[in-house]
Amino acid sequence: MSVRPTSVLRTVVLYVGLTAAAVVVLFPFFWMVVTAFKEPGQAFSAEILPSQPTLGNFRRVLSDFGFGRYFANSVIVATTAAVFATMFATCAGYVFAKKQFFMKDRLFTFLLISLMIPGMMYVVPQFAIINKLGWMNTYRAMIIPHLANVFGLFLMRQYMMTIPGELLDAARMDGAGEWQVFRKVMIPLSIPIIATLFLLTFQFHWNNFLWQLIVANVERLYTVPVGLAMFKSAHEELYTLKMAGSCISVLPIAVLFFFAQRYFIEGMTMGAVKE
Amino acid sequence: MTKKLLLAAVIVMAAVVLVGQGCGGGQESAATLTIWETYNDEEHPVFKEMVQRFEEAHPGVTIDVVRLPFAGAEPKIQTALTTRTEPDIARVDVSFLPKLAGKNALAVLDDYVPEEFLADVFPVALKSCMYEGSLYGLPDQTNGLCLFYNRELFREAGLDPDRAPATWDELIIYGKKLTRREDGVFGLGLRNSLWWSFPFFNTYGAEFLSEDGTRCLLNSPEGIAAFQLKVDLFEKHGIEGGAWRAGGIQNDLGFQNERYAMIMNGPWAVKSLKRTGIDFGVGLIPAGPVGSHTNVGGNDLVVFKSCPNPELAAEFLMFVANEENQRNWALTLGQIPVNLKAMDAITSEEHPYLAVFVEQMRTAIPRPPTPYYPEIENLMIPEMQAALDGSKTVKAALDTAVREIDKLLAGE
Repeated sequence: MSVRPTSVLRTVVLYVGLTAAAVVVLFPFFWMVVTAFKEPGQAFSAEILPSQPTLGNFRRVLSDFGFGRYFANSVIVATTAAVFATMFATCAGYVFAKKQFFMKDRLFTFLLISLMIPGMMYVVPQFAIINKLGWMNTYRAMIIPHLANVFGLFLMRQYMMTIPGELLDAARMDGAGEWQVFRKVMIPLSIPIIATLFLLTFQFHWNNFLWQLIVANVERLYTVPVGLAMFKSAHEELYTLKMAGSCISVLPIAVLFFFAQRYFIEGMTMGAVKE
Repeated sequence: MTKKLLLAAVIVMAAVVLVGQGCGGGQESAATLTIWETYNDEEHPVFKEMVQRFEEAHPGVTIDVVRLPFAGAEPKIQTALTTRTEPDIARVDVSFLPKLAGKNALAVLDDYVPEEFLADVFPVALKSCMYEGSLYGLPDQTNGLCLFYNRELFREAGLDPDRAPATWDELIIYGKKLTRREDGVFGLGLRNSLWWSFPFFNTYGAEFLSEDGTRCLLNSPEGIAAFQLKVDLFEKHGIEGGAWRAGGIQNDLGFQNERYAMIMNGPWAVKSLKRTGIDFGVGLIPAGPVGSHTNVGGNDLVVFKSCPNPELAAEFLMFVANEENQRNWALTLGQIPVNLKAMDAITSEEHPYLAVFVEQMRTAIPRPPTPYYPEIENLMIPEMQAALDGSKTVKAALDTAVREIDKLLAGE
């Protein structure tokens, strides 16, 4: 079988286009990494690769700026919040997708309405509550207010609605209890969306700046984004240090995406049933 | 197996969350002061050392210092004020003080700071602490723009590397010699914003706001002439490289890469420029019809109304601004002191760059305090941009901006 010239052309165009797009997308990352290895003051020098690469920025970020502590705080906050938020959203999404109860649709609409309010609006009232509870300067203040995640619920419900009820009925027919149906059928089939939601919530908490700043009045509870903001003062920015800190801060996200991407690709097992 | 691991991890996390609490911030005795500050990496240790000396001089007094990132300080203070969890003292930008004072959040310090002390405080910086006739803080840092120039590019153009242009006319002549369009080298790189344009307005004698703060006066004939000069440097004389354009080479960057021979910048830039190894000098802002006058920025320390011990807090503010500490601050960090006596310690032999800034600050013109400064900037920037890129005449642009600003100042 001969390869048609048009398809070769199409492939070439596709690859050239994708390569160009990849260069555009990756350039900021590239700049971040090379700048992190430059001497202070050389951040904007014309040379692209540093002539004398240095580890000094990383050393300073970790020792003088206490980034280790910020990093640990971020890991604790983002992981705990993402685990619980995903768990709650999965349970609630299942109920809203597959169960019937009084006022279900109205309740769901009501919850969706809360999504329309910009997040900034919640900051002051939430802060007032946290303060009343005496939770200032605790991890609880950073985590608990964000555990009920309507967006996550919405995402889960929409996905789970596409899983045919027949699958669940089949499991019930085989004698599975309610818990088993949820655990053995629903969760395995929803893994791609659970992984996605976990990533999104993790990333949200990993990047959250303002909330984590206002509930912490002690530096030892600062998280990575707050630490990164320290490199910018009124008039100047310590770019080489900031980029070294940024390199450290993208690591967990990069690792997570690396391991979770197979779930995205694995995708749909939904062809398992014939309508 | 991995599931068990995950479960274990979750339990550990939950335990950490539940146990790792109880780091109380609340209880304060009268002898404790909490300070929220935004000092940078270099300033912070110098400040901490100052705090330590204050504590030693005042047995029983504890000062809690919390360092905030500059970018998040204002929303954090505002949120704290809504729930009355603000600190006793905060370090705020000069433009934020009138807003806090106008909202009645700050303690009036007139009764705690004696006249003799105020007489030593640099008047330009002190003015930023006054709001409606009362004293609401003390300056801890002041700054303004000067003209930085690349001595190497001056030499190449046959100019004296030890002398910056003294007037705007001279700047244009210098600029024409320095500009080499074919190499992408320009005499000058300028930023666009109201704050960065004040050196133009001030050297032309244009007033910013009326005495009572209800009207903007920048569309006066002096204001129009001043901004026309900024436009002409780009458009007519072709010596400004368009650093203010979106996508243009920013002024700092262009100066570091020797694309702009001259830029305006503040004392904060000296240290990082020295590290780049560029041979540069600092001169006064070129004089206009009414002389050489720069703008004023900086920070003030303020005491909140809720502070149970404003007298002690005011004492700390005076401690920071006193002669000894300001001299130490200026000499250690290369910054402009806010105390007049400390200013005399800076000689041009030992501190060539800083001495120019100190000289420039003596004729600087501070902004009249207004709680709306950030909003005024936001109204001004697009109109100034339109005048610079030629889509509007300077008069039309400033008239529009002033009309909108007057509405803002009169309204609400």
